[in-house]
Amino acid sequence: MSNSVISVISRFLEEYKTKTSNKLKVVDAYLFYILLTGALQFLYCLLVGTFPFNSFLAGFISCVGAFILGVCLRIQVNPENKGDFLSISQERAFADFLLAHTVLHLVVINFIG
Amino acid sequence: MAQPRLFSLVLLTVALGAQALTPSHHLSLSDVERLQGVLSQPFTDLASAYYSIVGLSKLGAAVADENIPVSNETRDILLAAVSEDSTVTQIFRAVSALSSLGLPLASQEVVSALVARIAKEDNVLAITTALQTATRLSQQAELGGILEEIEDLAARLDDLGGVYLQFEEGLEATALFVTAAYALSDHVETEPPLKEDQVIQLVNSVFSKKSWDSLSEAFSVACAAAALSENRFHVPVVVSTQGPATVSHSQPVLQLLVTNVLSNPMASASVLLESAQSVASKSVVLSQTPFTLRDGVFQLNFMASQPASGYYQFSVAVSGDSRLVANQVELKVKVSTEVAITNMDLSVVDKDQSIGTKTSRVDYPFKAKGSFTADSHQNFVMTFQLVDVNTGVELTPHQTFVRLHNQKTGQEVVFVAEPDSKNLYKFELDTAERKSEFDSMSGTYALHLIVGDATLENPILWNVADVVLKFLDEEAPTTIQAKTLYMPKPEIQHLFREPEKKPPTVVSNTFTALVLSPLLLLLILWVKLGANISNFSLTPSSVLFHVGHACMLGLMYVYWSHLNMFQTLQYLAIIGSLTFLAGNRMLAQKAVKRIAAEQSSRLAKYRSLR
Repeated sequence: MSNSVISVISRFLEEYKTKTSNKLKVVDAYLFYILLTGALQFLYCLLVGTFPFNSFLAGFISCVGAFILGVCLRIQVNPENKGDFLSISQERAFADFLLAHTVLHLVVINFIG
Repeated sequence: MAQPRLFSLVLLTVALGAQALTPSHHLSLSDVERLQGVLSQPFTDLASAYYSIVGLSKLGAAVADENIPVSNETRDILLAAVSEDSTVTQIFRAVSALSSLGLPLASQEVVSALVARIAKEDNVLAITTALQTATRLSQQAELGGILEEIEDLAARLDDLGGVYLQFEEGLEATALFVTAAYALSDHVETEPPLKEDQVIQLVNSVFSKKSWDSLSEAFSVACAAAALSENRFHVPVVVSTQGPATVSHSQPVLQLLVTNVLSNPMASASVLLESAQSVASKSVVLSQTPFTLRDGVFQLNFMASQPASGYYQFSVAVSGDSRLVANQVELKVKVSTEVAITNMDLSVVDKDQSIGTKTSRVDYPFKAKGSFTADSHQNFVMTFQLVDVNTGVELTPHQTFVRLHNQKTGQEVVFVAEPDSKNLYKFELDTAERKSEFDSMSGTYALHLIVGDATLENPILWNVADVVLKFLDEEAPTTIQAKTLYMPKPEIQHLFREPEKKPPTVVSNTFTALVLSPLLLLLILWVKLGANISNFSLTPSSVLFHVGHACMLGLMYVYWSHLNMFQTLQYLAIIGSLTFLAGNRMLAQKAVKRIAAEQSSRLAKYRSLR
């Protein structure tokens, strides 16, 4: 059983390395970074406590929101999905990404206290 | 002088019977003096001269005589004023002047002019002035039409609560109406169509105000007072007691003052007590007894009929003049007496009554010789009787209290002594039952008896004896329990909200570093992937875009440290719009470049395939 899991994973990683374009890998790296940051914040909360709860929430939601927006950007920018996003060019996707981030940051900074 | 009058007026007001309305206001002697004072002020113009002179003469005060010469032209002017074209006031003044100066005038012309004017000026003051004018005309003239106006005007009066009757135009209009109505009625010798109740209500309205705003108001009240005290048909009579309405053995005579509205005594009246009924027992004590007149005051010795103490409802009738109005009066009279305490017996009774009681008799105002001791097995009993000193009848006053006062602690407990069916008062103190009221404090208590009532002239506070009470368990604290209700209470310290416990700085620093570390990882990954900024075109819009974007991020930091949302939004709007415009431009350029690159690569692929 574990063998097949390992083989699936290694296969997936191979395909990822070859098939994905560089641009998408850049975005993926960014997403991975966001994920790590969020996970570490959550770990802190688990270990030490929720003392400034609003700060924790602000940080965590910032990570979650950024991750979601990053995923949206990746989907829209991926040339394989071009058929689904005919009216939205890559630049438009990026502009949307930036605008949404502005709003997210405003809310997060307001809440961080 | 005014005080007892006011009191009796209040009594009168309270005792308003259903049938007979009696005046609740009239001009007392001090009011008349005040009115004269107002009218005696030095006059500055003709109107005030008129008011002062005529007003004072109505009140009977002496007035300086004025002699005015008159010329032919003046007379012609005055006669010409009597026409349909002048106002009622002008006609009135002309007619008054003509009649005062003794000049002849055509009464019928005046009447027709007045009737025409009344039809045009339908207000209260105009019609009242017309009535006054008619009093100056000869009796042969056709004054019937004008006389009817009295009834019409009376219908316009507003009834306020059944007590007051006045015009909505106010006191002056009402008073002037009263004056004019009676003046005209006297002049034509016809009774005015005003019912007795209406007359009394008018009296109440006109004399309710005791300080007058203007000279004309004072004048109108003076005229009304004179009219109501000296006319041929209705003279309201005011009956009030001289002094408080109380009789007792020391003051057995009830004195009544019978006056008119100007507080002038009615010499020709005779006063009869129709009935005197006890309020408590509803029995009639005296009836059909006349009051005797002595020195202008009507007197009746009520104590001669030996009434029991209490309140009595007197029904008094004033007669002697057919013009009298409101001559049936109801008065409430109090008969007071003195109380004596008899047969005061104190004893300590054992609860199981196995030991015989030891009764001591105490006489007022002495104190019992020894003190009485009662512990939880015994009851302290006090019996006494309250009798009327003069008649020997047993009394049940409103207040019969027994007060026990602890000498040392200042504690005081009050009980009520109640009479049984035979009017024998008994007070029983069960030591065990009542220990909560005493807070179980044993000790010597001074016992006082308090007797009081509205009809008693001698309320009693009598220190009867000392009682030593012994309570079982001394639950009370040994220290003196003074009532500290009104002393400052202990200060409450405010506990501010404790800040939550923070984790040690080391831990939070560690985690801060840990959270920032993925950024490093990201940069490494990007470098490994080959992300670069080689495609960065140095166009103004892209520079502006990046600068604007950096500013926006910087604004976020400033927002966190200094600003509030509103300021941030303002700055954001400015920077954001700039960044948006620049970014739009930059991305458009990028898009153009990208599409061109794609097209050329596609073209190259196509060419290579071919």
